[in-house]
Amino acid sequence: MADISQESGTKSYAATPDDKAAKHAEAIAHFKKRNKFGLYFWIPMVWLLFVLFCAVFAPLFGLPPADEIDWMYIKEGPNEVHWLGTDSLGRDMLSRIIYGGRVSLTVGFAAPFIGVGLGLILGMIAGYYRGWADEIIGIAIDTWLAIPGLVILLLFSVVFGGSLFMVCFSLGLLFIPTAARITRAATLNYAGREFVLAAKALGASDFRILTKEVFPNIIWPLIAFILIDIPIAIVIEGSLSFLGLSVKAPTPSWGGIIAEGREVLSTSPHIAMYPTLVMFLTVLSFNLVGDAIRRRLADVREGAI
Amino acid sequence: MGEIILDVQNQRTAFATGRGLLQAVEGVSFTLERGKTLGVVGESGSGKSVLSRSIMRLLPGTAITGPGSRVLLNGKDLTGMTEHELRRLRGPEVAIVFQDPMTSLNPVLTIGKQIAEVLVFHMGMSKRAARAKSIELLRAVGLPQPDVRVDQYPHQLSGGMRQRVAIAIAIACEPDLLIADEPTTALDVTVQAEILDLLGRMVRERNMAMILITHDMGVVAGRCDDVAVMYAGRIVEKAPVRELFGNTRMPYTAALLASIPRVTDPPHRKLDAIEGRPPDLINPPPGCPFAPRCRFASAECQQQVPALEGQGAHQYACIKPLNTGVAA
Ligand SMILES: Nc1ncnc2c1ncn2[C@@H]1O[C@H](COP(=O)(O)OP(=O)(O)OP(=O)(O)O)[C@@H](O)[C@H]1O
Ligand SMILES: [Mg+2]
Repeated sequence: MADISQESGTKSYAATPDDKAAKHAEAIAHFKKRNKFGLYFWIPMVWLLFVLFCAVFAPLFGLPPADEIDWMYIKEGPNEVHWLGTDSLGRDMLSRIIYGGRVSLTVGFAAPFIGVGLGLILGMIAGYYRGWADEIIGIAIDTWLAIPGLVILLLFSVVFGGSLFMVCFSLGLLFIPTAARITRAATLNYAGREFVLAAKALGASDFRILTKEVFPNIIWPLIAFILIDIPIAIVIEGSLSFLGLSVKAPTPSWGGIIAEGREVLSTSPHIAMYPTLVMFLTVLSFNLVGDAIRRRLADVREGAI
Repeated sequence: MGEIILDVQNQRTAFATGRGLLQAVEGVSFTLERGKTLGVVGESGSGKSVLSRSIMRLLPGTAITGPGSRVLLNGKDLTGMTEHELRRLRGPEVAIVFQDPMTSLNPVLTIGKQIAEVLVFHMGMSKRAARAKSIELLRAVGLPQPDVRVDQYPHQLSGGMRQRVAIAIAIACEPDLLIADEPTTALDVTVQAEILDLLGRMVRERNMAMILITHDMGVVAGRCDDVAVMYAGRIVEKAPVRELFGNTRMPYTAALLASIPRVTDPPHRKLDAIEGRPPDLINPPPGCPFAPRCRFASAECQQQVPALEGQGAHQYACIKPLNTGVAA
């Protein structure tokens, strides 16, 4: 092998697995060492941190409760008492948007993690054990994919009701197939490597090989996948709220507030406009930040593939 | 006689392939004592790696072990053991050093983590104790600046240093038997001798037994007590190293000896000194597997497979052995 690459002088195709592994590891080290992200990363990042901060520390701001009705101000625009105005029931918009952010962001983070977590387990089992386990999981995933996502969400909403956990869980289920496929392919790639055999030769069980040897190698594509899924989950949750299939009123979520504002759009546009704007900026920011990180991860993975 | 660490009896390993059963190891038997090093030499594909995996019971699912095969490690029969029982022996009783340390080390874990992992698991050490012990092991295998290197990734080390790390991991749990499967083939010529010396030193200091696998007769010369020459899955000649070099009986061994690379050869030269190719292991020809390539072969040689026999320590499987020294 070494002779061939020296003679032909070509790089990419003659590269031995060791070269690739070295490049891969180097790229990861490079990624960890230097973080040269531009403004496209930092501006949306600041917005996300701000939104996250507001959502996490909401109770500390002395805001009126999100469902408290202020009879003095119904459907009012922004004023000194209610900075972003009130909705048609006289509830403080700022409070509703911030508390709604809690729901939207929780779903945005939890659903991809649940989906990727379950997909990871299935994909690892399929990719590591192959054989009938692989086949059964493959068939299950194909079947799952054949059911439209909305039907699944509707079903869960009707059967289990609209608790926050159920919304996260049912949405998470939609991310399983892709996560499982990514994990399976990556596991397949690493399970045959010599360091896995070396670990076995030192008495490692399958579980330890999967968690300690394979997992650290396949985490990167999964992180990239989670980054794509966060904004998607936020948008889907918004759509579900809009249809009244997400968390039950009066718990606010961005989609829910927008839906309520839609009815009075012509007279009080601010009610729908502010949550829409916040949601738009947040989803856009997640996409920009995710893209920036994914580009870096792609550099890392280029070495590996 | 010293304490017998390893006793391999009639090991047969086959693989189920699309074309049929591939007999990779065919009736290999030998014993190995504590403190001794057995060199296993043979061309590529002669079954050296499969033999080492068979000893460790680390074979893929397609492998079939012959019904009469037995491997006794420290007197314990590995053949009937469950995977769970085997796991407890791998590391503390038998360990292996692979050919290429770039692929046998995990690229995304620091070397310290990779050593500590074994210590925590087998020796029940705390994380902190394992780290201290890792540094100590790295120092023992001659890695410079072990307290710095311990936090580095494999790619930050040179090939020779990586192999030192792999050796440190292998000896971490003080195994009785160390298998080194072509431990220097992937390394620079300049560090090959260093690594082999290190392995020899570890065996002596820790009083282990070692199987040193190589396709290079030159490697075996000064570093082994006994040498087993493998061809087509069988041991075809086995003798104490001096005896083997001085009184070669099997023409295949003679051909291997004639192919010892010289300093003037280009690096990574394949063993091409022997005419012809190894036999097909799925449909082996009848008789001595080396006969088709052997200058001395006659019709008799094609009749049946010669058994491994001989007086005392020197055994060979040949019906027309050489009786002079190395054939020119
Ligand atoms: N998993 C497997 N499935 C099928 N055949 C295999 C498998 N592993 C090894 N073999 C076959 O077994 C034979 C012996 O292989 P082995 O790897 O032991 O050779 P080797 O002596 O170690 O060679 P090298 O010097 O190249 O390492 C070869 O013909 C090989 O093709
Ligand atoms: Mg081999």
